[in-house]
Amino acid sequence: MRILKIPLARAFALAACLCAATWAHAGPMGFKDSTMVMGDFSPNWREGWANYAFTPRDAVGAGGLWMRSDDQRRTRTFTEATYTRLVKRWNGEHSQANVWFVMGAGPVKGNDFAGSRTMLAPGISVDYETTRVYVSAMARLYRAQGINHDYGSLRAGFSLYEVDYDEVQPWLVLEARRMRGLSDRVEITPMLRLIHNRYFVDIGVNNAKQGRLNVMYIF
Amino acid sequence: MKSLTTKSVAAYAITMLAIAYLPLGLAGESVKVTVNGMVCAFCAQGIEKRLTKLPATKEVFVDLKQRTVAVEAKDGFKLDNKLISDEITDAGYDVLKMEASALSVADIRAQLKSKK
Repeated sequence: MRILKIPLARAFALAACLCAATWAHAGPMGFKDSTMVMGDFSPNWREGWANYAFTPRDAVGAGGLWMRSDDQRRTRTFTEATYTRLVKRWNGEHSQANVWFVMGAGPVKGNDFAGSRTMLAPGISVDYETTRVYVSAMARLYRAQGINHDYGSLRAGFSLYEVDYDEVQPWLVLEARRMRGLSDRVEITPMLRLIHNRYFVDIGVNNAKQGRLNVMYIF
Repeated sequence: MKSLTTKSVAAYAITMLAIAYLPLGLAGESVKVTVNGMVCAFCAQGIEKRLTKLPATKEVFVDLKQRTVAVEAKDGFKLDNKLISDEITDAGYDVLKMEASALSVADIRAQLKSKK
């Protein structure tokens, strides 16, 4: 099965009727005084980070991202310090919507250039969720001298049934994402998500038949 | 005579303190809070963790569907509604209503579950 080759704008339009990011569901940070740890692993994308929320709206952390082009010839390794800000939250009766800002900065290395360069990675994420439905979108710029790996993702999901918060809740999630420069394809991944009160686990297979594992835990 | 007076004052003081703190010693005092914006397990976990840390808290229960957070006081302690409200707000949610309840958290949990 070949990966779909469709323009980014069309992919976004397709997914717009559904709708995040490698960050999911609870947003890119936890509640005040909590530490969130997250990992996202697939053959061409391996990411891990942790952050600490020192206010209800602000978190600082550190992370690492390894990326590889579709042809497996080029790689990037980005190590970043991050700042995350909850810009706005709307609390509804049975819903919540958020706007998040993240800023990452650190050295990036690649196998097609010598040494390391300083990369800046500002991003914005929006999400809307209820106890049964979840949609989100994220755009993030990965820029360094001579490098542009801008990233976009859309994600939508629904829970199979309602549970109490201390029980495991299964969700079906569909994600479309793309990164400029390393891949000209849109990766589409249906995933099964299991959420419990402190963690979630996503397991899926993308349209290139590559496995995907996404985990998150809040301390 | 002097010793008797001292003992009497001490006894009086102890009695007054006991009376003053007697209402705080009632078991089963709880508060039910109606909250907007709680939609996921992480929301509930955050609220539960913050409220559990309060010195007066014996037990916390969160019901996402009913938008309810229930907090029960430890014996001998009194719940501080403002503190509870501030903690929930700090966790990122909106407090709509707070009501005192004579039920324990276990009873509130059973009551809410029976509504489902």
